[in-house]
Amino acid sequence: MTTRAEARYRIEAPNSQPRAVKVIALDASSELVVKRLAQLRWNRASFLTASAFAGTPARAQPFSVPGWLSDLAGRTKDLIDEIASADLVVMIATAGENAQAGSLIGEACVARRVMTTGLVLGTAAASDEALSKTLGQLRPYSVMLVSGGDEDYIENMLVALRA
Amino acid sequence: MLRKDQNDLLTQTGPGTPMGHMFRCYWLPALLAEELPQNECPPVRVKILSERLLAFRDTDGRYGLIDEFCAHRGVSLWFGRNEESGLRCPYHGWKYDVTGQCIEVPSEPEESGFCRKIKLKSYPLIERGGVLWTYMGPPERQPPLPEWEFATVAADRSFISKRLQECNWMQAMEGGIDSSHVSFLHRGELNKDPLFKGSKGNQYNLSDAKPHFEVVESPGGLYVGARRNAENGNYYWRITQWVMPAFTMIPPRADHPVHGHFWIPIDDDNCWTWSFDYCVTKPLTKEQLQAMLDGKGVHVKYVPGTFRPLANKDNDYLVDRAAQKAGKTFSGVEGISMQDASLQESMGLIVDRSKENLVSTDNGIIMARHRLLRAAKALAEKGVTPPGVDPAHQRVRSAALVLPPDQPFKEAAKDALVVQPNVAHVSV
Repeated sequence: MTTRAEARYRIEAPNSQPRAVKVIALDASSELVVKRLAQLRWNRASFLTASAFAGTPARAQPFSVPGWLSDLAGRTKDLIDEIASADLVVMIATAGENAQAGSLIGEACVARRVMTTGLVLGTAAASDEALSKTLGQLRPYSVMLVSGGDEDYIENMLVALRA
Repeated sequence: MLRKDQNDLLTQTGPGTPMGHMFRCYWLPALLAEELPQNECPPVRVKILSERLLAFRDTDGRYGLIDEFCAHRGVSLWFGRNEESGLRCPYHGWKYDVTGQCIEVPSEPEESGFCRKIKLKSYPLIERGGVLWTYMGPPERQPPLPEWEFATVAADRSFISKRLQECNWMQAMEGGIDSSHVSFLHRGELNKDPLFKGSKGNQYNLSDAKPHFEVVESPGGLYVGARRNAENGNYYWRITQWVMPAFTMIPPRADHPVHGHFWIPIDDDNCWTWSFDYCVTKPLTKEQLQAMLDGKGVHVKYVPGTFRPLANKDNDYLVDRAAQKAGKTFSGVEGISMQDASLQESMGLIVDRSKENLVSTDNGIIMARHRLLRAAKALAEKGVTPPGVDPAHQRVRSAALVLPPDQPFKEAAKDALVVQPNVAHVSV
């Protein structure tokens, strides 16, 4: 049944429905990457940024930060609404940057039972310590955590996940 | 999901293809040394990277890997006579040395020097750790000899086997970095197989079927870390090494021998799955060796006289539905290797990756594809030597360990992930 001839009889009908993927930048550097990615053609991916959260002073009350989650045009988005309509949430962080927003997003995903993936950029230039810090911030909130040296892996990852 | 052009690029390894070009940068396992057991023994047909070759060991013990076919009329030299420092075609007596150089054409006057104008394509073939390795790239780019740890330990500390896998190399290799299937497909074997059972890690594996993954680039490929819950809020980490293009080392279990694989393309529809087991600090025991010979662990039983598994697609892998129903095996197929191979072969000779629906836990596979595509492109466009060629990239280890939740495995297991002479693998 695994001959080349038999392979011709594999059914050609679609075997899945489009999935909604929310791609969220967690810092300013990641936001630039996400903005570039958003220019490409996707199935049902939407692109957001939480970089305002990263810029919040450490002791500020994060929930009071207005507009901490927004789309790339700057319109404020409600986290719960966004998660509710997601099949997968992909968080993009830069090694050494503040990825604290990941905890808030991750908690919401756990509550809504939405899968999370954390993708870390810039590992080639970052120190081990900086990378560890970012990975440590995302680890509790990511079912899958990936770090890579070049940003084009993010695009490949999203394509592979049918974003 | 991959586009068709990407899938073609990754799965085609014949001459002139980008991935074939990349494979030809490495020393590749070609035969077991035991396949050429003595000088002047019968030659062995070898197909690798879609090239039909012939391996032989001449009168002086030199190994050769040459074009299978005589330059005269195209006869297979497998029928040749291995005698007096060369392989003689039985048709008209043309004779070749281990470099493929024709050294005798009986019908032509010796003084004419005609034979010097005839040379078959050949590749170097060297023995290391019980394996005959070949390098099929340009001679001027031949890399240093392979330094995989299993091939450098004393002979009584390692066991190596190979089996025919009837599908493309890539889908077989992807199985090796897909850690999430272990808790399902192999769950029946973890506490039963003599080369796996008794490890504390097995309990972590079986009690947490939803591992979290962390994929980190390594110099030669990837570290694929799978973490499961352990006691007191700690994590049980299993860190698999993937070194480009086709090597994996599976994390150890207790003090069992450590195992891993190479997946080497025979052609685009078949590959050799090489499987090794080794211990660094002590010889394999008689019981361990016997278990490996009996097809336990990552090894298989064979159709006698071949390297084809006894359980194969022609007999539906001897699937046992009663054992499946009773929970003795998850898929009904016996043995770790054939549990993997049966499912990978069932995908078809070359799986159509445009139809797949990958999920987050497949990110190790996605990342491996990404690195292969990137390296093939860099090699083709800029001549950049791909990762994994450097022997330093080969001196790696897998590891299994329990860590506090705040410790990243890449740092906490830094020493455990590289070869430490005379020090055992870090294992749970």
